[in-house]
Amino acid sequence: MIDRHGYRGYIGSRAYFGQRAPQHVQNLVIRDYCQRNGFTYLLSATEYAMEDCFMILEDVINEALKLEGVVFYTLNMLPRDKARRYEICSAFLDAGCTIHGAVENACAKSLEEYENLENLWSVRRLSEQADTIIQQLAATPEFLS
Amino acid sequence: MGKITSFLQPEDQAANAAMLQRGHVIQAVENRDGLDAIRDLAAHAAARHLGVSPPNDPERFLNGIGEHVDATTLNDLRISVINALRSEDWFRPTYFSLAREALFKIVGNEIAMQRGVGLSVQLPNDDSSLLPVHADTWDGDSPYEVVVWVPLVDCFRTKAMYLLTPDKQTAHLKTMASNNSAETFFKSIEDDVEYISIDYGNVLIFRLDLPHGNRVNTETEARWSMNCRFKSVLTPFADKQLGEFFEPIIIRPATKVGMTYELPGGFGGAGQ
Repeated sequence: MIDRHGYRGYIGSRAYFGQRAPQHVQNLVIRDYCQRNGFTYLLSATEYAMEDCFMILEDVINEALKLEGVVFYTLNMLPRDKARRYEICSAFLDAGCTIHGAVENACAKSLEEYENLENLWSVRRLSEQADTIIQQLAATPEFLS
Repeated sequence: MGKITSFLQPEDQAANAAMLQRGHVIQAVENRDGLDAIRDLAAHAAARHLGVSPPNDPERFLNGIGEHVDATTLNDLRISVINALRSEDWFRPTYFSLAREALFKIVGNEIAMQRGVGLSVQLPNDDSSLLPVHADTWDGDSPYEVVVWVPLVDCFRTKAMYLLTPDKQTAHLKTMASNNSAETFFKSIEDDVEYISIDYGNVLIFRLDLPHGNRVNTETEARWSMNCRFKSVLTPFADKQLGEFFEPIIIRPATKVGMTYELPGGFGGAGQ
């Protein structure tokens, strides 16, 4: 029997989909999410600022067997690459560690439930592309006349 | 004073050499009574949180805090103590006074200070609240900042923090991306880090662009330390911005005049 305790917060200093929040605000959101769900909140791990770097998240994966769950400030912090995203999430779930997004108020306890998070991601990505298309249209008046 | 050949005084040159070559400075606090007041308040707040009598020997009580809390209750205690400290209006000015003159030499004399001073408590053999290897510049701080790190107990060996020495920084950062995790990166620099021994009564000022962190405290006593970032007001900010993270605490009169100055206007009108 593995002795698991608590939910590890995960915050960062990069902008995610163009949005950033101060770290103390990220922690407040995670703490509130944990309180509302009756989770024991463990001090957040703070990802390095370098783009596409997930070295701190890898450390959290390495302690996943001791955790009940990991709470991302937002699921948008997951890698943009789908395969890498799946690799990270399945590593947590295989270790019996649930995955949570505090901003999205969403969680996955199994690979089946992870599909729901992946759908959220896909829609988010799609909306980003739609924004780009709208901006291109707006910059091309002949399409709007 | 007569003729001199350098703009820098010897103490300025010493500060330059220490920060650029060693990456840190350790000196006696500049306000010992202030430090004692901070430590005593921390110990009394901890005792109040635990429901025990105020300690006669604060340092011994703080060192032995592991007799009262474990890893699961430590964070509540830490938050209770830091809230007690932050609620005192003398706390931040007093914290600044511990290293005021040193900061003037290292960052300048117009200063922004982190709004919320941090507190770390590390129980013996507790691996649940470790800070992995990091440079604060990787966490949203700008490289123009320094950390003023104040121990509330004597810190040594694994009870202390470690810092990568500046002469080894460039080589290790070149290969950093080849590591899978922060832990594997630490293993790659482990032989080149220095554990900073520092006794109570002293202050450590270090460069936050240098990788640092802590390991499991294998000593028999708990570590208590505070940390706060300072920078020159007019140097660039990174993700941790003025207002939300930093507050200007000293702005000199010439800067105040300059910030509000406007050239006379009204030229180019009909009468010209």
